[in-house]
Amino acid sequence: MSLVSNTSLTSGQRRDRLAAFRVPVTVALSFAVIAIVIAWSLAPQFFTTHSPVVGVPADKLLGPSLSHWFGTDHLGRDLYTRVVYGTASSVSSALVAVVIGVLFGGLIGLLAGFLGGWVDVVFARLVDVLLSIPKFLLAVIVVTAIGFETINAAIATGVSAIAFFARVTRSEVIKTRQATFVEASFLSGGSRWYILTRHVLPNASRSVLPLAVLQFGESILIIASLAFLGYGDPPPASDWGLLISIGKDYLKWPWLVYAPAFVTIVTVLSVNRISRWLRKTD
Amino acid sequence: MASQDRLNTRLVSIKNAAASAAQPAPLLSVKNLSVAYGANRVVHDVGFELGRGKSLALIGESGSGKSTIARAVLRLLPGAGHATGEVEFDGREILGLPERQFRPLRGRAIGFVPQDPGNSLNPVRTIGVQAMEAASLTDETNAALRKVLILETFAQVGLDNPQRVYDSYPHQLSGGMLQRVLIGLAVLPRPALLVADEPTSALDVTIQKRILDLLTRLQHDLDISLLLITHDLAIAAERADQLVVLKDGAVQEAGKTRTVFSSPNSAYARKLHADVPALNPDRYAKLRDPGFRLLDRTSGTASKIEVSAVTKTFAVDGKVLTAVDDVSFSVPAGTTHALVGESGSGKTTTIRLLLGLDEPDTGEIAIAGENLAGRSQQQLRSVWRQLQLVYQNPFTSLDPTWTVEKLVREPLDRFKVGTAAERSEQVREALSNVGLGEHLLSRKPGALSGGQRQRVAIARALVLKPDVIVLDEPTSALDVSVQADIVEVLLSLQARLGLTYVFVSHDLALVRQLAHTVSVMQRGRIVEHGRVSDIFDNPQHGYTAALLDSIPSGISTISQTPPKAQPQAEPVIRTERRERIA
Amino acid sequence: MSNAYLTYAAKRLGQAVVVILLAYVFTFVVVSILPGDPITSVLRNPQNGFSEEEIAEIIAAQGLDKPVLVQLWHALSGFVTGDLGMSMRSNRPVSTLIAEVLPSTLILAGAGLAVALLLAMLVAYGTRFVPKKYGQGLLRGFPSLFLSVPNFVIGLVLIHLFGFQLGLFRVINPDSFWATLFAAVALGIPVSSQIAEVLIANLDKEAEQEYAAVARSRGIGQLKLFVSHLLKPASLPVVTVIALTIGELLGGSLITETVFGRTGVGSLVQRSVSTQDLPVLQAIVSLGAVVFVLVNLIADLLYPLLDPRVKILGGSKRRPTTSDEPSIGSAKAVNP
Repeated sequence: MSLVSNTSLTSGQRRDRLAAFRVPVTVALSFAVIAIVIAWSLAPQFFTTHSPVVGVPADKLLGPSLSHWFGTDHLGRDLYTRVVYGTASSVSSALVAVVIGVLFGGLIGLLAGFLGGWVDVVFARLVDVLLSIPKFLLAVIVVTAIGFETINAAIATGVSAIAFFARVTRSEVIKTRQATFVEASFLSGGSRWYILTRHVLPNASRSVLPLAVLQFGESILIIASLAFLGYGDPPPASDWGLLISIGKDYLKWPWLVYAPAFVTIVTVLSVNRISRWLRKTD
Repeated sequence: MASQDRLNTRLVSIKNAAASAAQPAPLLSVKNLSVAYGANRVVHDVGFELGRGKSLALIGESGSGKSTIARAVLRLLPGAGHATGEVEFDGREILGLPERQFRPLRGRAIGFVPQDPGNSLNPVRTIGVQAMEAASLTDETNAALRKVLILETFAQVGLDNPQRVYDSYPHQLSGGMLQRVLIGLAVLPRPALLVADEPTSALDVTIQKRILDLLTRLQHDLDISLLLITHDLAIAAERADQLVVLKDGAVQEAGKTRTVFSSPNSAYARKLHADVPALNPDRYAKLRDPGFRLLDRTSGTASKIEVSAVTKTFAVDGKVLTAVDDVSFSVPAGTTHALVGESGSGKTTTIRLLLGLDEPDTGEIAIAGENLAGRSQQQLRSVWRQLQLVYQNPFTSLDPTWTVEKLVREPLDRFKVGTAAERSEQVREALSNVGLGEHLLSRKPGALSGGQRQRVAIARALVLKPDVIVLDEPTSALDVSVQADIVEVLLSLQARLGLTYVFVSHDLALVRQLAHTVSVMQRGRIVEHGRVSDIFDNPQHGYTAALLDSIPSGISTISQTPPKAQPQAEPVIRTERRERIA
Repeated sequence: MSNAYLTYAAKRLGQAVVVILLAYVFTFVVVSILPGDPITSVLRNPQNGFSEEEIAEIIAAQGLDKPVLVQLWHALSGFVTGDLGMSMRSNRPVSTLIAEVLPSTLILAGAGLAVALLLAMLVAYGTRFVPKKYGQGLLRGFPSLFLSVPNFVIGLVLIHLFGFQLGLFRVINPDSFWATLFAAVALGIPVSSQIAEVLIANLDKEAEQEYAAVARSRGIGQLKLFVSHLLKPASLPVVTVIALTIGELLGGSLITETVFGRTGVGSLVQRSVSTQDLPVLQAIVSLGAVVFVLVNLIADLLYPLLDPRVKILGGSKRRPTTSDEPSIGSAKAVNP
């Protein structure tokens, strides 16, 4: 009985279904935040008239005001401008990390889950090994091995996420592979490759998508942490993590920490909210 | 004015007193009950009365609001649920009562028997711990005596080894045993009212009957009022004094069981009656007759399906489990053969073998004269071209990311049948064969009802124009009215296209309606087989008889003298295997 | 202790050993084979001022002139016998270097875990008792908020508020009680939000289960329902989650130590990274893997003993299914 659904939708239910598609306020706000962040990274010059590199020494360490929204730093540079110009590198590097994690992890998980047998055993051990090394330590040694640069920090972050996506994709693929509709397709004459690409992949990726979005937020945090430790591009770059790192030496002027931290937190919060919304509306 | 008012009040109270003298006040009285989840109203102005020691059944299909009403009476509506109206219990309005004042009534005065026993006991605590909760509602304060009380109750509800049950975790017991435990816990504090929400729908048929017998017996022995929630009109008619028929949260018809059951007034109650297989064995006689004629004519000639002496074993945790044991049957073209049995009877394994999804250890299977043994996957494909399967659960058998058109066209694409235009034409034809319009082509399964989904699944099986369709409990996940529609579709397709069906089911009443021949399976063996009429009119095997006996007939058991309390003397049927401690 | 459990335990232990060894090999490959030649970048770096003889000595001592596979074999056999090699920079045994800083990090990580557990339980269990109109939403929002905050920011905020503004502790004295406590809080908050998220989800799931409604139909109140029904099934799976957060604690302590100016394994990593002291890095990363694998091994061995639902069958654990007969639609067919 529990499986039975109603034969006809009443008007109330239809309204509910429409409401489910309507975007909640917080999600709409989150999308707005992400839109601004993307705009900042694509065309920072449209959002500020100051220079991110050259400061006015006389204006150093000013508090937030109308002319300097986030105040100025120890060299008299407008902090808001530095945040805006740092967006591109902070955000695009997170994107690189997600792409690496999802692509490689997804491929490993897909092959392991679908082929099974010894392929699965080998990949499962590999994933266990990757998972056993604390994520952040793994990112640190990878970035050490390939050199301190923001793009390398992104690669390192991506590598540290591979194991997670491999595991998630594998379990999703196995779940889908055991689904009745896959057997139905098999009985309809579908080959393994056909079933993999047409049934398993679309269904598995439906549940991986929200996690990829979540990973985007986490990557921003990890890359910021790496930048904070000085494993990203050196100054005068203005990655968010780097800005906070510089600000920590000037805690008397706390906006130097709070302003870039605020932007980072709001961005990641928005990304996480969108991820949760995607998971629910699935 | 004031004196007039007073006079009126007095007149009313006199009238009330007179009324209550003539007829005892009901134990439970529901008036204008409405329940809403947020803005979504699911129950509309429902009212009924249940007398002391009497029984009343709320009947309806899914979405009828019957379970919601039960929960509203128990005040266990989940989260956003909100009930308005009046619910009087023992003369006391309980809907508006503060939780603190209502709680003492729960368990003590109003007991609850849930639908799915498997999920109704805390999985990480022993039965004993949970039984103590019920025992603490009694007057008994001594813990040792409370335990004695629990063990006595377990024996009373027919549990063989009360102490072992007491020490067990829920997952160590079978569904039937768990339901006995739950019934025991519900009646232990001697409530005046027992609310039973589909108490048997998650159980095997033979166990269903015994659980219902137990409920009826306890109701009489302990003088409890029973509010029974069920989707099964026949069960309701057997077990209740009064019926309330619900649809979409509103009462369609209510009254004495005999009246509502034998001469329903509302169109919905009439349709419900007509759709219950147990009550209408000959409903599809006309559609089925051609098959019987084929059966008479072809006896002796080759069959579409030949299964001979097939055995299949599985190794489960080091033990060998014989899932299918020396099974043989044959199905003449154009007829329906039913495989009937309860869970674990091997019917599902049998059809997996039939489809070539598993290979038998010994024995042979031939489809249209071609032997399945030793075929490669490629060669099996040519078998599937002629042999399609409809799954039990249309909610899992259709890829949720695909549209209806793609789903139905998939077999044509894979077997490369005809041109693209011809394929689209065949998809439309298959859909219209199962009574679905073209406007559904672009929908995804999520936007379809259960009945529509199963029609899509049947259309997918039909689109290749196979000779044989294997139907694995194709209606067990659906409401009776939807089931009736699907059966109608299946039988008219058979009459028109001469299809051969293998129909797997646990529902004997349904099999009696639509099959031509039947094999009754128990623990991997076929215990009896033959023509449907022969088997049903004159069962030779005890198990078949027990299965037939468990079909609810709709004839009230209430007027008969209730069977006396003899828990140990209950007929022990051999299916009890699953009812023992695992 | 059934036979099946012992088989499972032995199998699981074997897996753990294999994973640890492979993790060592993996880190070895990452630090020594990827681009970047330690000999030129460290030893011949004029800043370090090694003479040619010293360089030759170090190369010989580290075996850097041997083929990679020989180096790996040498390092791996050393690792198995507990010899972690020599630091390239300070010419001291790596094990000594680590032993010096380990206690400080263990204190920090332990305190961090305690803070995380306490906070997670407060928040998650609080959602059961704080009514909707008195801030239940706030509690529910906690995990997602703090998962969005970089933990160095939490550290800096704590230093700014409690160190600078209130003067509770001074960064110059990082091992004082208050400094350690706030470092633990900074480390524990992100970890606690992960645990709290799972706990809240589990509690919600259990509360929606039919057995909760049936238990309530037996007349028990909210408190009793929580204590004797929801608490155990909701909290048990968290054992595994806590084990998984060990990696988070180890990684997070690296940053926290930097922020609070503590000397510990994290600062040793920092120093080794900046000096490219590969043997030290190699040792710390593989020890991190050892800790992580062992903690998870313990959690996996403990769990079946705690949760009666989990049955051990054929050397692997699983929850019991209703039927052992294969059902149609179990799609074994795709992999015949």
